[in-house]
Amino acid sequence: MKTDEFIAFLAKGSAVEPTPALRNKLFWAFSMAGLLSLALAFTIIGAQPAEALMTPTPWMKFAYTVSLAVAATFLTIRLARPVANRRAPSVCLGLVLLAMLAYGAYYLAITPEEAKGQTLFGQTSLLCPWLVLLVSLPGLFVLQIALRAFGPVQLSQAGFACGLLAGAIGATAYALACPEDSPTFVAVWYTLGIVLTSAVGAISGRWLLRWD
Amino acid sequence: MSESNEFNDKTASVATGHPFEREIAPIWRLAQTGDEKAYEQALRLIAQRLRAFFRRRMNNTPEDAEDMVQETLLAIHTRRHTYDNAFPVSAWIMAIAKYKLIDFWRKHGRRDNLTDEFDDTDLSQQSIMTAGAATSNLADIQKLLNQLPAKQRQAIELIKLLGLSVSEAAQQTGLSESALKVQVHRGIKQLTALVAQKSP
Repeated sequence: MKTDEFIAFLAKGSAVEPTPALRNKLFWAFSMAGLLSLALAFTIIGAQPAEALMTPTPWMKFAYTVSLAVAATFLTIRLARPVANRRAPSVCLGLVLLAMLAYGAYYLAITPEEAKGQTLFGQTSLLCPWLVLLVSLPGLFVLQIALRAFGPVQLSQAGFACGLLAGAIGATAYALACPEDSPTFVAVWYTLGIVLTSAVGAISGRWLLRWD
Repeated sequence: MSESNEFNDKTASVATGHPFEREIAPIWRLAQTGDEKAYEQALRLIAQRLRAFFRRRMNNTPEDAEDMVQETLLAIHTRRHTYDNAFPVSAWIMAIAKYKLIDFWRKHGRRDNLTDEFDDTDLSQQSIMTAGAATSNLADIQKLLNQLPAKQRQAIELIKLLGLSVSEAAQQTGLSESALKVQVHRGIKQLTALVAQKSP
């Protein structure tokens, strides 16, 4: 078809602006990711008793994972579109990460020598990153499918951001099922799980985020 | 288009250094407000820019470059509601063009040298094509349209092919204007998917 005719064809009756539908889609995917992660965490590992919410431990975890999720949402939305300025959200992410690592290191430093191993490794350090990844995967899938509608062009980076977001959501859900209570443990093993999810997101993004 | 020059907005006058950005930005912003004439004009400008971009980068035939121009225009069309005013339009457009070019290389690789141009191959078919040139494009569209759900097909036929305005089409079908617009939008998306399926 001649390009001129094609342009006329596209332009005719074209005053269509369904932007809200797109935002709703992302919000919906975000909620789905949260629900899926929660459901998985509760069925695979089982919830902590409700009294645990009265202690500061889960709130320390939430503070970290929710801040990460907020920064990751920011980054994901930026990378969702063809032109992206990702400096501000990247700086936010870096600050959250740095703060948690610093807190974890400080907590380890003030722990008496004989308890350091327990503070760092807890009971579940070998499992924790993998469980965070597992709990996050369905959300990652849903988020990437939703993100495709925006037309991202840097597929690996957008996939990575999606993974970070899914990982942070997954870790928040996992915190409700996780028995560990040391900030050092969270700073190391939760972070590792979220990074794993991001890596999977960067790889799967090359396929799942591709659009025509 | 005198009103396009008067259209002024601070947010989008960021990267006005590039001549293409200077030219396209006011028309594009007008088009985003729903002005069809401005939109068509914007697409024509964009097509020129894309043609130069693809011809310079593709060693294949001009036909391939033109296909890429159209494919990129379609991508811009179906994604234009995701355009964010914070960025220069030209950067947005060229980012999509680059994505499309990389996608083309990924799909075709080097094997492309082995395929023949359609125009050079089947002369008998070509004469049929030129005889019915005016109708052949419509026939192609009609074939694709027949694969769409009835509502989407009807909406596209009325608005895009017969050239009715949205309100006229709404009167004729008894559907609301926004419902029609949504049907057209979905229909175009579906068509994109169908075309993408056919061209490997």
